[in-house]
Amino acid sequence: MAFLEFNQVSFSYPQEGRFALRDIQLGFSRDGITAITGANGSGKTTLTKLMIGVLRSTRGTVCLEGRSLEEYSLGEIGRRIGYVFQNPDLQFFCSTVAEEISFGFVNQGCRPETVEEKIQYYLDYFELGNYRHVFPLHLSHGEKRRLAIASVLATEPSFLILDEPTTGLDAYRKRLLADLLIKIAGAGTGISLVSHDQAFVNRLAERVITLEKGRVVWDSGEGRKHG
Amino acid sequence: MIAGVDEGWNMSKKAVVIRGLSYQYQPGGPFALKNISFQAARGEIVMVTGLSGCGKSTLCFCIGGVIDYNRNGVMTGEILLNGKNAGNIRKAAMALEVGVVFQNPDTQLFSPTVEDEIAFGPENLCLPPGRIQERVEQVINLLDIGALREANPCRLSGGEKHLVALAAVLAIDPPVLVLDEVMSQLDQSGKNRVQSVLQRLCKAGKTIIAVEHDLAAVAFSHRLMVMEEGILVRCGNTETLLADRDFMRARKLIGLEHNY
Ligand SMILES: Nc1ncnc2c1ncn2[C@@H]1O[C@H](COP(=O)(O)OP(=O)(O)OP(=O)(O)O)[C@@H](O)[C@H]1O
Ligand SMILES: Nc1ncnc2c1ncn2[C@@H]1O[C@H](COP(=O)(O)OP(=O)(O)O)[C@@H](O)[C@H]1O
Ligand SMILES: [Mg+2]
Ligand SMILES: [Mg+2]
Repeated sequence: MAFLEFNQVSFSYPQEGRFALRDIQLGFSRDGITAITGANGSGKTTLTKLMIGVLRSTRGTVCLEGRSLEEYSLGEIGRRIGYVFQNPDLQFFCSTVAEEISFGFVNQGCRPETVEEKIQYYLDYFELGNYRHVFPLHLSHGEKRRLAIASVLATEPSFLILDEPTTGLDAYRKRLLADLLIKIAGAGTGISLVSHDQAFVNRLAERVITLEKGRVVWDSGEGRKHG
Repeated sequence: MIAGVDEGWNMSKKAVVIRGLSYQYQPGGPFALKNISFQAARGEIVMVTGLSGCGKSTLCFCIGGVIDYNRNGVMTGEILLNGKNAGNIRKAAMALEVGVVFQNPDTQLFSPTVEDEIAFGPENLCLPPGRIQERVEQVINLLDIGALREANPCRLSGGEKHLVALAAVLAIDPPVLVLDEVMSQLDQSGKNRVQSVLQRLCKAGKTIIAVEHDLAAVAFSHRLMVMEEGILVRCGNTETLLADRDFMRARKLIGLEHNY
């Protein structure tokens, strides 16, 4: 049984005649890095939103650990799956960078004496130390993206989804992110990422799924490359 | 001297002249731009690159005249657009001098359909309806976004939003275009299409200033500007700069597709 499973899933946005996704049959296990690729508008973001129950399938079911996603609350899903949105602005609601990083794991009941250490670790890794007290919406685009990734990673989810995580990142930060994701995957977190960035996909992905007009047209299957 | 026109400014050549431009988002705060000077000619594509936070978008906001709308920042120095001092250009007339596509296109899309979004600019120029429709069709064809015509811009995918925002700006037909990472979310065919559109526009005399991180996406430009911590550290022929591997490596600008 795969960690996340799509059983003949089709999806159309409300009030839209056409299907954004059609007859998706896919399993995602909790190890390895999977890249989801495809042209603009092919349905990648829609697919990942179905994976976390933000969108609900029109037909078919999406199962998490064998149970239909419909049976979980969004909070329960959120404790298992971390999601980094394509547009980082949608994700922020705290008044400082440090609060934003700690919000998720503090809420999940992290031991108080480790909070500061964890904040510092992520500020350092993503080179956001100078912005510790800054209002997140006042950051540059690349800084926001790093913060969005940091605050999701800080919750240490067992499965991680990132929608176009490299847009807005400079070459140097792309490298740092690639290294970190490989490390996290090696430590046993499943990762799915949507990306147009061929070099990034080549470097990271053990499995590549390609969408075209809402259908899976290529799936290289599971395999291991790192760790 | 004509009011607002820079002495020594060559009508036929310089579309953008920046002199000693500095910017702070808060009075007394850190400088996001430090004493930047450069010029861009008509028909020239200048790409801007540099690590995140180095001031690229801030520079775009300044050139686009949109920086002092909602901020209490401090700008010093001089910006001339098409020979006119940007400080003296009325806000409403600014769109005729320069068009900006923002890094986050959500900030500039608000119409119910893509077609309305593109028509909005020409409508505000009070063009006759026939001319408006003509421009809308032109840019839709140019960017090959006919399939999105009826769609709601807010519901498009990230790359599609950038194409629509670009289309809306092109429909106004300003001589200077400022594009902040418009290619980063496009798929390969979208990148190729935008690149060929930009090349056509500059042959027609437009001046294009564009920010990109991906060195493959900057290669077709005439000149490359490299920024670091608010400073313009180098500006020169793109090919020459890209060939200077030591410089690019030292600036941490070489991507995953190349080894160090
Ligand atoms: N609204 C704002 N208020 C205060 N500071 C800001 C604001 N926007 C940006 N900054 C700061 O100004 C500096 C330059 O930001 P800018 O957005 O111009 O960078 P950039 O080069 O475009 O980066 P990126 O590649 O990440 O888009 C950064 O240090 C950033 O944190
Ligand atoms: N909220 C929405 N309402 C209606 N249609 C949408 C919405 N979001 C996306 N779409 C459409 O669904 C299709 C797939 O979009 P998306 O999953 O965002 O593509 P991708 O991430 O692959 O670029 C596109 O045609 C897009 O325009
Ligand atoms: Mg998407
Ligand atoms: Mg920027």
